[in-house]
Amino acid sequence: MTPSLPDILVGNFMCLADPGPPEQQGEFMAGKVGLVALLSLLAAQETERGAAARAAENALIRATLDEAAGTYGLDVASLPSTEDLTFTALDRVNAALRKALIGLHEAVEARSDTARHHAILRLYAKMAELRRLDLPPLPAR
Amino acid sequence: MSLAERLEAYLTRIWGQPVTVADLSRIPGGASRETYRFVATVGGAAKPLILRRDPPGSLIETDRSLEYLALESFHDRLPAPRPVAMEAEGAELERPFFIMERVEGGAVGSPFTVGPYGPHARTVGEAFFEILGRIAGADPAGLPLAKVAETPAPENCWRIAVDHWAGVIEADEQHPQPIVRAAIRRLRRHPPPPPGAVRVVHGDYRGGNFLHAPDGAILAVLDWEMVHLGDPLEDLAWAIDPLWNPFDPGTVAGMIPREEALAIWSRASGLPVDEDALAWWSLFAAVKGQAIWTSAAKEYRDGGFKEPILAVSGWYTARRHDEILAAALLRLEGLQ
Repeated sequence: MTPSLPDILVGNFMCLADPGPPEQQGEFMAGKVGLVALLSLLAAQETERGAAARAAENALIRATLDEAAGTYGLDVASLPSTEDLTFTALDRVNAALRKALIGLHEAVEARSDTARHHAILRLYAKMAELRRLDLPPLPAR
Repeated sequence: MSLAERLEAYLTRIWGQPVTVADLSRIPGGASRETYRFVATVGGAAKPLILRRDPPGSLIETDRSLEYLALESFHDRLPAPRPVAMEAEGAELERPFFIMERVEGGAVGSPFTVGPYGPHARTVGEAFFEILGRIAGADPAGLPLAKVAETPAPENCWRIAVDHWAGVIEADEQHPQPIVRAAIRRLRRHPPPPPGAVRVVHGDYRGGNFLHAPDGAILAVLDWEMVHLGDPLEDLAWAIDPLWNPFDPGTVAGMIPREEALAIWSRASGLPVDEDALAWWSLFAAVKGQAIWTSAAKEYRDGGFKEPILAVSGWYTARRHDEILAAALLRLEGLQ
């Protein structure tokens, strides 16, 4: 997904390291600091869950593609895989798997394959759940 | 030359007498426009004003004109700031901008906090949906906005909207997004009925885009930069999108129950709410959101990761809209 966790953390440094002109201090900078704080909290969630979520999503998509391979003529074996659990490696594989999943879903819809269509929709719900980020219950100001 | 000096030079030229600018300060908020408050003093009179300036690299002249003309169209019909001046070419400020009067005494409640309107949620909610109904109820033909806004045929409203935002995703996507693509295909397979009337669509009418007084009265509807003419259900669906209400499942927008909101909107607009059409526009709202967040993620990267609002948009809100889209796709198939 974009932006990546390293993007976020580098960005938190960059936006505070460059304070900007005088008219962008005060309330604007306070708002920026609040956003950096929120991003840091979400980054903690991503650090804890992100690799496992990506590995699980990749396995779920690959299983869906494997199950449909015979019917839809998919070459799942040629898709990349990795034992590397870095975000970069998992995202590279994820991009290839997601592209293949998009292609499969389009083919499923074209054939009006309702059972598989519904299975893919349930997969989407699982993927979204795996990637969920939880907002802190901040009080209104 | 500082921004304050540039503003002084510009206002002195257009008002034909010396102007001084004080208390220039950027306001936190959306990243698509830089927003500043300042006080301009001319002829001994102090005018509290707001500057909305395009960020570097953005030259969306049409959008700037539309936003300005939307304020011209509505500032005397509902709570909205009065526009003062616009320069599509940038003039002394070098980038397109416009200036509007500042509305004092209000606060913007963040939709991402718990109870953003406190004990006045009902007052805010009734006004919020009543004002949106009045926007939808206005005949665009006589409005200044109609001078530049394209008027789509009713049967084309949905297609224009989907084509636009699907194109944004196509252009800015940096990682494949199967969920939103499935939603786009569903929108195309099952188009909504045409609206009974083509009306003004604010384009970003939601919590966080209006000022309210301590007693809950809405003082100003802001951020008209995505205004256009189309199906008025587009605004209603966006306003009640679950993204804007993370903590209170019993209401829409963290304000009032859904049925009440729709009834107020319908009464104020004089338009019926077709639930099937609203379901289509609700799915569309999440697609539109995902397109905006996709662009935000790209802008965050292209801009050197310096604007944290783009990171929040491209990350948290994108993930949340994937959840909303996936749930909606299941619901529309009669699945849990």
